[in-house]
Amino acid sequence: MTAPQRMSVKFYFDELSVDVEEFIPVFHRWIRENVVPNELLLDVADYKHIIDGPAILLVGHEADYVIDLTDGKPGFLYVRKRDLGVDLPEALATTLAQALNSIRLAETDVELQGKLKLRTDAAKIVLLDRLNYPNQTPNGSGSNDAGQTAQSQLAENLGVLFGENVTVTRVENDAREPLTFELNAPAAPDVDTLLGRL
Amino acid sequence: MANIGWKDILAEEMPLDMAHEIDIFEGQMELMGQGKLDEKVFAETRLRRGVYGQRYDNGQRHDGFESRELEFEEIERIKGPDTIWHAPGMQRIKVPGGGLTAEQLDVLAQVADEYSDGILHVTTRQDFQLHFVHIEDTPDMMRRLASVGITTREACGNSVRNVTCCHLAGVCQTEVFDATPYSEAFAQFLLGHDDVQDFGRKFKPAFSGCESEACGLVMMHDLGYLAQVREVDGKQQRGFKVYVGGGLGTVPHQAKVLSEFTPEEEILPEAQAVSRVFARLGEKRNRNRARIKFLVAKLGIEEFRRLVIEERKTLPHDDRWTAYLETLPHYEEKPTRPPTFLNGQVSSAGFQQWFETNVYAQRQEGYSVVTVNLPLGDLTSQQTWVLSDIARKYVGDNVRTTVEQNIVLRWVSDSDLPSLYEELNAIGLGDAGAGTVVDITACPGTDTCKLGIASSRGLAAELRTRLTAKSASLPDAIKDLKIKISGCFNSCGQHHVSDIGFFGNSRRSGNFKMPHFQVVLGGMWRENAGSYGLAVGAVPSKTVPDVVDTITSRYVEERAKGETFQEWIGRIGKKEARSLIQPYMKLPDFEQQPDYFSDWGDPRVFSLGDIGIGECAGEVVSLFSMEIATAESEAFEAQVALDENDPARADSLAYASMVKAARALVRTQFLDVGDSPDRIVEEFKTRFFDTELFFDQYAKGKFGQYLFDRHQSPNPSPDNDAAHRLIEESLLFIEATHVCESKVGGNVLIEI
Repeated sequence: MTAPQRMSVKFYFDELSVDVEEFIPVFHRWIRENVVPNELLLDVADYKHIIDGPAILLVGHEADYVIDLTDGKPGFLYVRKRDLGVDLPEALATTLAQALNSIRLAETDVELQGKLKLRTDAAKIVLLDRLNYPNQTPNGSGSNDAGQTAQSQLAENLGVLFGENVTVTRVENDAREPLTFELNAPAAPDVDTLLGRL
Repeated sequence: MANIGWKDILAEEMPLDMAHEIDIFEGQMELMGQGKLDEKVFAETRLRRGVYGQRYDNGQRHDGFESRELEFEEIERIKGPDTIWHAPGMQRIKVPGGGLTAEQLDVLAQVADEYSDGILHVTTRQDFQLHFVHIEDTPDMMRRLASVGITTREACGNSVRNVTCCHLAGVCQTEVFDATPYSEAFAQFLLGHDDVQDFGRKFKPAFSGCESEACGLVMMHDLGYLAQVREVDGKQQRGFKVYVGGGLGTVPHQAKVLSEFTPEEEILPEAQAVSRVFARLGEKRNRNRARIKFLVAKLGIEEFRRLVIEERKTLPHDDRWTAYLETLPHYEEKPTRPPTFLNGQVSSAGFQQWFETNVYAQRQEGYSVVTVNLPLGDLTSQQTWVLSDIARKYVGDNVRTTVEQNIVLRWVSDSDLPSLYEELNAIGLGDAGAGTVVDITACPGTDTCKLGIASSRGLAAELRTRLTAKSASLPDAIKDLKIKISGCFNSCGQHHVSDIGFFGNSRRSGNFKMPHFQVVLGGMWRENAGSYGLAVGAVPSKTVPDVVDTITSRYVEERAKGETFQEWIGRIGKKEARSLIQPYMKLPDFEQQPDYFSDWGDPRVFSLGDIGIGECAGEVVSLFSMEIATAESEAFEAQVALDENDPARADSLAYASMVKAARALVRTQFLDVGDSPDRIVEEFKTRFFDTELFFDQYAKGKFGQYLFDRHQSPNPSPDNDAAHRLIEESLLFIEATHVCESKVGGNVLIEI
């Protein structure tokens, strides 16, 4: 399957003992110190006035980093916007690698260290591309359903990373929303282990 | 499904003209990429598609210590003067009169989460804006919007911007009549009209149903319409009091009365005449003096009026002037539910507070307008989908945006109000305080605007938080005050017409700059932005919450019974008003108060280094340049059609490109040539061919003959070779048109 135009992965906070506002100076410093390899970081957007929304955004050229409070589940959301590769497995690998790298950056950041911890046994993956990945109800035969094909490809590739017993469940959301999957793994490998497997 | 795009999928859903315009824009993007379009022409072209610049798109960003280069790929590739192609930008989306359907909300939410950061922002002129959009995504975004009837055409640039209309029109208790269908007809008539393509600056119209409320804010618009009814021969006649030459900006102007009463059948031709006078006599070189307000001020309203009346007499008749009037008797909004009443239903604690501020009783009994109070005008894609479902359930397509950056749901059956409130509250959109002191308006400011000096949104968020926290204890006199904030003197936050307004500027203290806000007091929101406030002095940004406290406390202490804030400011005078803020005007040193040297929500040491060249004014490019660019795009589309093995379409587009080029040339002398190919070719022949102005030194009239041949003898079934030849001829014809235009100087001489 062709790479989606955009793809996001959200890892949920296990611990967060810092106000979201405190990410603003951290993100500005990340821009100044150019801490993300192979990505151009541009600006910080403050949306904390929106209830249950993307509170603080680090906007980049290739990707956005979001302290995301949507659905009442605070998490660290990575949205890959460009250069996703040629197919879905490559897009997944790129997105996950950069997302995990950003988790490591956040967890080890000089100002955030010890104040947050992200879970790696669960994540939300979204394919933001309604042209190639329309969020249609499965038709039963499975032959034309982008969702089903994407789900099996994601499960196959995530199994390599998170172990055989990983489950990838398609979220039964509204058809207007993008195609969304929940990842659940029986264990929570640490970030370095996951990055090593990529 | 390989290579199938939105263009193919939505081909049947998009109106043909909108689809074609988007194809043309996409072609122009490609031509720009190939270096075949002038950067200024392309900049104005994309602005007229609503594709706007954004902060840092010149590739520079101040990180608090120094200005650094943002290393975009293909850094040399640009989309306008000093604007990098790959830098994200803003997409403005026109919403005439703020009117939206539930389906349109769905698609807006989808394009926001696929092409921007998933935030929809409502502007002070009822538009939507999406930020951090890549230019290469814009054609598909436009197609998806076009599929539900939304255009971005002329959302920016030197053109007729969104036509605003009171969000209560049609249900208002005090209106003379519903101005909505008139504003819609006006918007449709002037969209892409020939006579509005040669303005030196933007042009903002507004419609209002009544004089005393804020409604359409007609007094601060370039062209404003106030509904009126008069009696003629015992019959009621509808019309409008027409205002011209209002505007905020750096130097605010109150609009002048162009006409005490323009009957409904005359509003469109009169607007066309105004447009022609503005296009002909308005300033083109100095964009700081190019709005129509300066022309009206320079000529005087009497002379301006005389010119408009004279111009009106010369206009060739257009059936569209009155065609829409036939549909007026059938114009109506339909509620989805029958009228009901609130009869003591049990409701939550928050409901009553919300009901007091966010619910307006319509003149139609049993129905209300609900204001969805959007913090800073923002909502997420996810909220928008639920909101569209709420709309479907309770009001259908009766949704509008407002100039106070909110959304209203009209025709809510009253007994539905408690459940509607609960559903809004569940998605974080149940904030009370709509239209009160906590409902603060702010332009994007330094968040995303290239011109922003100080953080208007950061300040608005801070004030909103503080005032909301104490809203229950605020005296009634303060509750209904308006606070409006602009990030710079350009007034996009409409600070001139608020009780307490602010616009961003800066002051130096030692070696550092400090973000400041100029305090503007006593503007009037009511009476259609009836008067402008007094600038009394600038205070450090971080002191503004205390400044608001000080001013409002004094007002509460000193106001006479029933005295409005404007009246109080008028009574105490500018000197005393200034003395109120004087204690805050003293600038601390950096060492004393370092937090004063950064802005709200932005920890970087404050700098003016990120201010770029604004695109509000668009690029002043000649009418010919804009029109010939369209011809070139048609020729480009012809080549694409040929590549797709569609010679008939290629032939047709190549011919159309020649006609458009000829038209562009003819219109340098004769604006009213119209769209008929026969007329265009005839005028071209008389003016440029027979006079030999079009002749090449060596080829003589050969290039012009290409047009005549194809016009007189179209090929009924062109093959690829024939189409290819015609494309080559069209390119030569367009080149010759450029040469001819530069030879004759492109003077626009009006000749009717």
